[in-house]
Amino acid sequence: MKDIFFDLSVRSVKLNFLRSLLASIGIVIGVVAISSMGMLGTNMQLSVKQQLSSNVNTIMISSDVVRTTTTAGTPVTSQGIDKSTLNDIRNAAGQNDVIPIHRTSTQFTIGSTNGRGSIIGLDPNDITKFLTIDQGTNIKGGSDALVGPNIASNFNMNIGSRIKIGQDNVSITRPTVRVSGILTTRGFTSDGVNTDNAIIVPDTWYTDHYGDKDLYGQVNVILKNIDTINQTEAAIDDKVNRKTDVVRISDASSRLSSISSTLGTITTFILAIGSISLVVAAVSIFNVMMMSVNERVQEIGILLSIGTEKGEVRRMFLYEAFILGIIGAVVGGICSLVIGYSVVSAMIGNTAYFFLPESIVYVPYGMFIGIVVCILSGLYPAWRASNMDPIEALRAE
Amino acid sequence: MSEVPLIRLADVTKVYYLESGDFVALDHVSLDIMENEFVAIMGPSGSGKSTMMNQLGILDVPTSGELFINGKNVAVMTTLERTHMRRDIIGYIFQKFYLIPLLSAYENVEYPLILKYKHRDTSGKAAAVLKSVGFDDTLSAHRPSQLSGGQQQRVAIARALVNDPKILLCDEPTGNLDRKTGFQILDVLTGLHKEGKTVILVTHDPKIAEYAHRTIQLEDGKVVAS
Repeated sequence: MKDIFFDLSVRSVKLNFLRSLLASIGIVIGVVAISSMGMLGTNMQLSVKQQLSSNVNTIMISSDVVRTTTTAGTPVTSQGIDKSTLNDIRNAAGQNDVIPIHRTSTQFTIGSTNGRGSIIGLDPNDITKFLTIDQGTNIKGGSDALVGPNIASNFNMNIGSRIKIGQDNVSITRPTVRVSGILTTRGFTSDGVNTDNAIIVPDTWYTDHYGDKDLYGQVNVILKNIDTINQTEAAIDDKVNRKTDVVRISDASSRLSSISSTLGTITTFILAIGSISLVVAAVSIFNVMMMSVNERVQEIGILLSIGTEKGEVRRMFLYEAFILGIIGAVVGGICSLVIGYSVVSAMIGNTAYFFLPESIVYVPYGMFIGIVVCILSGLYPAWRASNMDPIEALRAE
Repeated sequence: MSEVPLIRLADVTKVYYLESGDFVALDHVSLDIMENEFVAIMGPSGSGKSTMMNQLGILDVPTSGELFINGKNVAVMTTLERTHMRRDIIGYIFQKFYLIPLLSAYENVEYPLILKYKHRDTSGKAAAVLKSVGFDDTLSAHRPSQLSGGQQQRVAIARALVNDPKILLCDEPTGNLDRKTGFQILDVLTGLHKEGKTVILVTHDPKIAEYAHRTIQLEDGKVVAS
């Protein structure tokens, strides 16, 4: 059954084609804004979560900076984690891998180019427990080193390259390490070990040159089973922080959730910006609907006088708003896929999550909102049309 | 004549409240119109003809007094009941035809059927009524803007007739037509009266009023002759 009021609406839209088209373009822009912003936010969250959760099974332990001192005026300092604390951690951690980490930042020279980066001291046996070597081999000799991919490409390092470590000073002969391997990109890590711009040296080499023997900046515990994270943390806390807070214990899962919630807020924010364009579109739809009503006053008068119910007149104008909404939503939905894909690939550089339900759902979601906005904008004009006095309306020219 | 009038105005007054003061458009008018009458309502402009039309067409309600149409008191009806009464009992024929510009001639005639039965006409009634006013299928497919004045008025008559109303309310139906076409339209109305319709014709032209069997003369909102 074809509804004559729907027919009338379609014809009215066709009759004022350009005007209707322009109003629909407003909706198209609104739908595209909402959908692509939503997809951008979701893809960002998914790709960051993916990167973070790869080392979510790590507990990070660092020395508690704030230490109580007995003497007033003594500066509060961080000392690092000492050997007995490390042993306590090893005991509390049970079967899990415990990785003590030395770290500082240093100047270095490769060839004749000076650079600056992190230098990380690790037991060579610990390296493969959480790092992946892309080229070359793990540290074998006492002055072998691994380098991160960024540092390697920035300074044109190859396997066998030699790096002079320390301040460039003619009066001192600087120690040299030999690159035995290059690590894979880790990106933004959540275990506190950012190796992309770092030089990894054996712990013995590190303590020989920087001191700090048996004193570590950070100790990571890599869990065999992620579900034991809370009980392991509690065990370490009980053992180490028995009297006073000696170490601070954190893990990526809490950081992951706080980053996720931050990203969620950002997504909401950019969605809100996208919605502004829909508000503008709503105003333009409202305007077009009011024009349609005002131009058709006499026609409305005819409809009402020959026995059209108010509800039917209302329906006719709501259909018109709905048609504008449908056109805008369908075109907007198609454009969203194209533009959203381009935006995601340009800004995140990774479209692996684009077609996942939680990302692609923003297209129907945006379309639905676009249609709802149109119908809402049509409510008042439709109400106004249906409540006209037929005598007055007939008299209008 | 039958005993119950089809239309009864009992002491009907219509006042328009304007900023310049109250304007009494109908002043204590009492009037009966029986079924199958052919009545002309005459009077100079400003005499209350249009107000009378609006009352008879249930587009408006009296300020005081009572108006009965088809035995029902218009004042106590809901808006929806009035709308349905306009749709079912009354056929309107206007001076300016007032066809729906977006619909074809056929759809204009079909429209009241859709209002009444809530679906497209499958009975062939719209086509039959159009045929009776001299329209074939080709002509029926035209939009009002593609038709001459006489043709548009025929479509308007067909639209007025399609729901088989008791009353045909004609407001200067020949006002926008040339003389020849005007008389053709009046002949159509005369024929419809013969078929049993109650025809009410508002005009200021005495020649046209002659077609009617009874003339109600209005002056300053009062009936001066009926």
